[in-house]
Amino acid sequence: MSAKPKTYERFPLARRIEHWILVLSFVTLAGTGLPQKYPNSPVSIFIVRTLGGIENLYDIHHFMSVIVMLAVIYHLLTIAYHVFVLRSKWSMMLSLQDVKDAIQVLLYNLRIKKSPPKMGRYTFDEKFEYWAFVWGYSIMGITGFIMWNPITATKFVPGEFVPAAKAAHGGEAVLAVLAILVWHMYHVGIKRSAKLMFSGKQTEEEMLDEHPLELEEIKAGVADRGPDPVTLRKRQMIFFPVAALMTIVMLTGVYKYITTEETALTTIPPISTTVESPLQTPQP
Amino acid sequence: MRLRTRLGPPPFWILGLLLVLGMLFFIMTFLATPIQAAPDAYQGEQPSNDFCLACHQEEGIALTLGSDSLPVTINPTLFGLSVHAEEGINCVDCHTNISEYPHPDVQAKSVHDFSVELNVSCKDCHEEQYSNAQDSIHQKAFDEGKANAPLCSNCHNPHTQGRVIGTESKQLTISARLHIPETCAQCHSDKYEQYKTSVHGKALTEEGNIDVPTCTDCHGVHNIQDPTTASFRNTTPALCADCHDNAGIMDKYGISTNVLETYVADFHGTNVKLFGDQSPDEPTNKAVCTDCHGVHDIAKVDNPETGIALRENLLVKCQRCHPDATANFPGAWMSHYVPSPQHYPIVYYVNLFYKIMIPTIIGGMIFFILTDIYRRIASRGKGVQHS
Repeated sequence: MSAKPKTYERFPLARRIEHWILVLSFVTLAGTGLPQKYPNSPVSIFIVRTLGGIENLYDIHHFMSVIVMLAVIYHLLTIAYHVFVLRSKWSMMLSLQDVKDAIQVLLYNLRIKKSPPKMGRYTFDEKFEYWAFVWGYSIMGITGFIMWNPITATKFVPGEFVPAAKAAHGGEAVLAVLAILVWHMYHVGIKRSAKLMFSGKQTEEEMLDEHPLELEEIKAGVADRGPDPVTLRKRQMIFFPVAALMTIVMLTGVYKYITTEETALTTIPPISTTVESPLQTPQP
Repeated sequence: MRLRTRLGPPPFWILGLLLVLGMLFFIMTFLATPIQAAPDAYQGEQPSNDFCLACHQEEGIALTLGSDSLPVTINPTLFGLSVHAEEGINCVDCHTNISEYPHPDVQAKSVHDFSVELNVSCKDCHEEQYSNAQDSIHQKAFDEGKANAPLCSNCHNPHTQGRVIGTESKQLTISARLHIPETCAQCHSDKYEQYKTSVHGKALTEEGNIDVPTCTDCHGVHNIQDPTTASFRNTTPALCADCHDNAGIMDKYGISTNVLETYVADFHGTNVKLFGDQSPDEPTNKAVCTDCHGVHDIAKVDNPETGIALRENLLVKCQRCHPDATANFPGAWMSHYVPSPQHYPIVYYVNLFYKIMIPTIIGGMIFFILTDIYRRIASRGKGVQHS
């Protein structure tokens, strides 16, 4: 065997853990949510039976949504760290270049163009997926809150917002599941290797194929290298207390989200009515 | 001769004893005759109904059973109109122990006991109904020793019961249908009072409308079950939908036939559907039809006083389970409407948005992927490798 090909770390361990938590929560949320959208489907009935009843589906769905909320808080903190402390390049930001890249790739696929465009750390399809998630989880978070706390919500908005939230939550769920099945599964299961999300590493050849601009930057030494230790320390001194405060605020938000309201009585009072005769039994 | 010689002539007292025993035997046999000999005497020639009615049409005759008095007058006209008379059933077919006058003594100590004794006679002809009734809540009440528990004859007076199943239609006759509430009201008068004022009961009792449910349509007939159980509650939506999903009935009154569909599409209905599939006998705290519409007192939804089409009236119903609900809250329930630009437009447009967005976005993705696959296959064919 020849020398090991040179590899580049694309996703550090923390990012990979974040990804797999997202996978677990996404699958669980879809699996416990869609049966509620399609209660007449035999698949739904099978899932409800397997999980031991609809009430269990609610509990699992609610639990997993909290996991997502915590993951989102963590993600926001890492973004803030990258923006304020490391001052990294905003590599996930959308730009006009992404639209151009998409068109170029399409023309290349249709064999109108001879070569594909050169793309950087995040290709347009990855950015599209990321921002679709930002959009999707925002919708899910807001509509989920309305459904979790309908009495509180209707103190501020018309009642119609509740079924509208339910419609959006369900529609967005179907869209997200189909997008993952079609777009994500094709790109990372068929087009590229899923190994990346386990090892976190890409070979030079893969880098050249998928992220040639990033590879060029790394080779040219102009990639993000972060601030010098003194500046880093200085920025961290400000960042950590602020981040801690923001974390407390956001965790309080999550706590409020899930505890604001006892939506309904857990048990409705049994029918209390005299069923027996107030009259004498008649004679034949 | 040897005996006589040895014992001598029998003493006079033995002859006397034999005579007394003989007389006693004779008397006992004679007394027993009416009970034991009657069936033989009347085999093939039972007393006719006219024979019985000759006495029993007399007004004011009654049996005293313990502290009860049981009138035994039979009105020949009413009996003549009964289904039993029509079918040529004889009095003694049910009153099997009577064949002659004087009748055997009645052992029952009350009217109830007397009815219980006679109740089994019904089984001879009405086997199915009798065995169904054995599974009913009425039988359960009887088994628990409740004195008011009804027997066959309490609902079907055998001397006056008319025909309930049409000879041609094989279905409940209109007149039988209209009289069922009165029959049940003999005991369940409080429910009847509510029913009479309800949208269903009013139509039945005042207009003779046969489209509306009578008691037995919801409760069943002979195997009537306890309506306060969780399983009965869980099946309520299906029960109401039996009629309310039937366009044949609902179109006449301009009532929507997708009430079940819209209910199941809503949170409460989805839950009750999935919950009921899984645990039909467990109680659920999610609302079923009757929680908002009522049970025996179901009113028209546009009734200005109680109609739940009015938000204020519906809010009262919401607050039974959601005590903190405020004025906007009832709007969260789409009142069995399918969202449209007129009714619940926000929901309609949200649905429309996804109806357009899902195929557009997913279709776009599929198109993009197909071009990628096309390029790969085409490149491979030419042996061209892009990197």
